[in-house]
Amino acid sequence: MTLALQIILVVSSILLILLVLLHRGRGGGLSSLFGGGMQSSLAGSSVAEKNLDRITLLVAAVWAIAVIGSGLLLTVS
Amino acid sequence: MLGAFRSAFATPDLRKKILFTIGIIVVYRIGSTLPAPGVSFKNVQSCAAQMGQGGIYGLINLFSGGALLKLSLFALGILPYITASIIIQLLTVVIPRFEQLKKEGQSGQGKLTQYTRYLTIALAVLQSTGIVALAVRGQLFGNCQQEVIPGKDNIFTLAVMVLTMTAGTAIIMWFGELITERGIGNGMSILMFINIAARLPNVGEQMLQNAGGLTFFVVIVVGLLIIASVVFIEQGQRRIPVQYAKRVVGRRMYGGTSTYLPLKVNQAGVIPVIFASSLLYLPQLLQQLVGNGNSWWQRAIQTYLVDQSNPVHIIIYFLLIIFFTYFYIQITFNVNERAEEMKKFGGFIPGIRPGRPTSEYLNHVLSRITLPGSLYLGIIAVLPNFFLGLTGEQNSQNFPFGGTSVLIMVGVGLDTVKQIESQLMQRNYEGFLR
Repeated sequence: MTLALQIILVVSSILLILLVLLHRGRGGGLSSLFGGGMQSSLAGSSVAEKNLDRITLLVAAVWAIAVIGSGLLLTVS
Repeated sequence: MLGAFRSAFATPDLRKKILFTIGIIVVYRIGSTLPAPGVSFKNVQSCAAQMGQGGIYGLINLFSGGALLKLSLFALGILPYITASIIIQLLTVVIPRFEQLKKEGQSGQGKLTQYTRYLTIALAVLQSTGIVALAVRGQLFGNCQQEVIPGKDNIFTLAVMVLTMTAGTAIIMWFGELITERGIGNGMSILMFINIAARLPNVGEQMLQNAGGLTFFVVIVVGLLIIASVVFIEQGQRRIPVQYAKRVVGRRMYGGTSTYLPLKVNQAGVIPVIFASSLLYLPQLLQQLVGNGNSWWQRAIQTYLVDQSNPVHIIIYFLLIIFFTYFYIQITFNVNERAEEMKKFGGFIPGIRPGRPTSEYLNHVLSRITLPGSLYLGIIAVLPNFFLGLTGEQNSQNFPFGGTSVLIMVGVGLDTVKQIESQLMQRNYEGFLR
């Protein structure tokens, strides 16, 4: 059981990292990090970006469940 | 004030944004308390309680909102992202290609952001490996006897931990971007704000227990005074008048207005403080990696750099902050570019020729105004080092009413309020700021 959860974690973690990297970066680094003006992006998110959001959310949910599951297993045992 | 709150929530657009931001913050805080897989929650709790606050992980723990010492999912917090952005920012001075990208505008900036994101993941792998290794060797919590990671002989378990923490960092990065995109304010700085604010009650309670009610009260009053002065200086600016010439394009008249170029007293924000404290943290990191020895340089690091109440440490920190303030303003505020831009659009500063004299004038004013700005940054950042005895902590940067914490919190808070304000103004409501 633990092993299965760990394998799920590995797969979902890697997927999650890749999916997040696929997103178009917003924020623009440090320059806007602290008081860098208010250039709010007017362009809305594209359809591809929206689908990417959905998939990321799904994978994140699986990942979170796996994390909580393995935590519970550790406490019970 | 309350009316402004009501109208902020009465605007459907703004309400959605604020609620979205709060929702993400809640998820983020929950993730900061969940232990990473393979970590025994109970043992970590008792170990952390044994060690108390502070220790050597001051800065990292500050930026992770205490999540680091819980070995939680989001143990790294946004520190990898901050480090990555600092590195990329510095590299734009060194590598010509990066400089080119920075000048390219929107698309180049996007590419730089993408590089920052890749670097963040790389740094996250490094740092999580380091933390897990420390925890396995039992060095993370000083001399705590309990087993923090029960299955530590299994390499695969450790690898899963590292991977999960890295994924956690990726999620934090995504959260920050989501807030920037759909919420209020800049996501990364809001998450940092939350991390620091989350520690306030904890530290306050400790202070109350250690020092008693009167000291606690005095510290709160002093803290409020410091916050007020930080707000005062943070808002201060020198307005250089700029007159735009009238021009006729087609049948329309443009320009002819007189505006001003605002130069803030503290143009660099809180970044010099972060740079300086990250730099001072490096020798400590080196020492940890080498292990606990007792050769002359390790003792020197221990007394002069790690111990924050040592005068040498305070002076080095102060000087570094002043240096980085000038350095950062030099790379972010390009005087020649400003002068060139003004000339292009027919603007000039009354009494000064456009072009080179303008840029020289701007440079003159900027370097004059930066001196008090940098001194102010240094003093505020160093201030808590003198209060060491009061909090009963070794690590004064965790002291919530001074230093890095206040600078970051006030800066981010002002920025966010201003953004809400401008949204309210669009809809003709009276804002928070009068």
